[in-house]
Amino acid sequence: MTSTDIESSTPLPRPVGLLRRLASDSTVLIAGGILVTIVAASLLAPFIAPYDPYETGYAPFIPPAFMEGGTSEFLLGTDQQGRDLLSRLLYGTQATLLTGLLGVFFGGGAGVVLGILAAYFKKFDPPIMRFVDVLLSFPAILFGLAIAAVIGPGIVPIIIALSIATVPDVARVTRSTAVVVMSQEYMEAGRAIGLSDRHLIIRYLGLNCIGSVFVFLTLRFGQVILIGAALSFLGLGARPPMAELGMMAAQGRDALFFAPHISTIPSLAIFMIVLCANMLGDALRDALDPRMRNM
Amino acid sequence: MSVLVQEKPDTSVQATATPLLSVDGLKTYFKTSGGLFKAVDGVSFSVEAGKTLAIVGESGCGKSVTAMSIMRLVPEPPGETVAGSIRYAGDELIGKSRREIEDLRGAEISMIFQEPMTSLNPVARVGAQIAEGLKRHKGMTDAQARERAIEMLRLVRIPSPETRVDEFPHQMSGGMRQRVMIAIALACDPKLLIADEPTTALDVTIQAQILELLRSLQDKLKTAIILITHDLGVVAENAHRVVVMYAGRVVETAPVDAIFSDAQHPYTLGLLASVPRFDDDAERLLTIPGSVPHPAHMPAGCRFSPRCTLATSKCTAEEPPLRSVASGHEVACWLAPIEKHGS
Repeated sequence: MTSTDIESSTPLPRPVGLLRRLASDSTVLIAGGILVTIVAASLLAPFIAPYDPYETGYAPFIPPAFMEGGTSEFLLGTDQQGRDLLSRLLYGTQATLLTGLLGVFFGGGAGVVLGILAAYFKKFDPPIMRFVDVLLSFPAILFGLAIAAVIGPGIVPIIIALSIATVPDVARVTRSTAVVVMSQEYMEAGRAIGLSDRHLIIRYLGLNCIGSVFVFLTLRFGQVILIGAALSFLGLGARPPMAELGMMAAQGRDALFFAPHISTIPSLAIFMIVLCANMLGDALRDALDPRMRNM
Repeated sequence: MSVLVQEKPDTSVQATATPLLSVDGLKTYFKTSGGLFKAVDGVSFSVEAGKTLAIVGESGCGKSVTAMSIMRLVPEPPGETVAGSIRYAGDELIGKSRREIEDLRGAEISMIFQEPMTSLNPVARVGAQIAEGLKRHKGMTDAQARERAIEMLRLVRIPSPETRVDEFPHQMSGGMRQRVMIAIALACDPKLLIADEPTTALDVTIQAQILELLRSLQDKLKTAIILITHDLGVVAENAHRVVVMYAGRVVETAPVDAIFSDAQHPYTLGLLASVPRFDDDAERLLTIPGSVPHPAHMPAGCRFSPRCTLATSKCTAEEPPLRSVASGHEVACWLAPIEKHGS
């Protein structure tokens, strides 16, 4: 045996880039386009909002411009206190997105850490997962009530409640992904070259789990926005006069029969955000799943 | 070449030349709900620097668990090395702290695995994976480690290593990945390489290339190799010394020539007879009837006796000890030494 040449078998073809695969999906383009517009509009609220969202001096209950009795002065009309609804919608979206994002960020972060630790250190698995089961048995609304009762209503207790509500599902999904990764030979191979637990957890286990966990978090984002809006609707969240979509929907319900736009427009905004987030999450999952690649 | 490998095998640590690794009376058990699995039950052997020791046996005979025990990679629980000693360069490994073992892994003792397709981290570039051990053990900077990674890829004969170093494992074929595994394992100049069926998952032509690569690297780097395999063809070409394992025990150990010319244990003979030969007219390959006994239900006496065509009542009653039949050749069989069988 003196052969020194490398075997001639061709290397595997480079899989089509994730971004290109996503871009070829019309759902992604539509949902992504809408979501990007919503996010951009809410971020630019201070610049593009036609009025101060807290200024009350205008006539109340003006319907939107496209409805009978509307005026082009107030494109989406005014609310029961005579505030410009479009301005409030822009600021409210900002607050809603922020609570949802922070809830997913903190709750997801804690969930990922718990799930990974449970999978890596087998002796921590039962206590961590039982703790997660306990968390799972409390509805998020209950957490919101309890936390608001202690530190008073506002945006912070909502974020805490959303974070706690996000932890158990994320921890379970992460753990089940991580358990599969743990059984892969490369975990053992990594250990065999003397890598520390920390290195193995971050570079081997973590990086191999993060793809599917990220997809789950994207899907979870929509639900968190919904829960957050529900908590605000119940009056546990943002305090008036602050604008928040769930709270705006709640405040408009007294006028539901003669000025339905006050309640329905924020609700529609929530609906669009959640729908687009879910569609994006689904598309991302399909794009990452090799079994769906050729469909 | 291999007759002089070792004059005094087995347990004697006081042998003139201290072997690089000596395993003595190793017992690794698994406690499961199904009972106590004695996967490795009193195994002894030693490896000299720069030589290759082959551990041969069927699936489930404890080869891999032996290797894992040396690396201290047996998952605990359920596994536990309950007795025995593993001395590396005169240093006892059993009882060392996790940290001390981590310092040895990859730096002094390395391992390559059976499945090249799943043994590399799919989300890291191959260069980074070679660099990991170098940074961990040699304290190299990123730039130094990358330089060394390219050098290692060249050493394992991967073409255009400067570009390959930035590729991901999925961009490589199985043979290439096994070369990368070898590069990772040898990056820190370990003195002992444990190769657990390194070619089983590869095409035959690539098997030969990988084995040839291992041999030439051994010549160059003077690495001792423990080659775990069930393929006696691989053994004949690569090993200096052979340990035949059956059901968690060593049944025969000898220099490689003696295994092929003067095998004594009926199990070794059975393994040899079940290798296809071109110079033989036999229409059917011989097989060893039955299979390795379940580790929780070991037969009394010689563990091979239920499958042995030569078994006597003594074989089923009493377990044969490992006895020397020739220089460096030991057999655990009541019938040994048998007459020299036809080649």
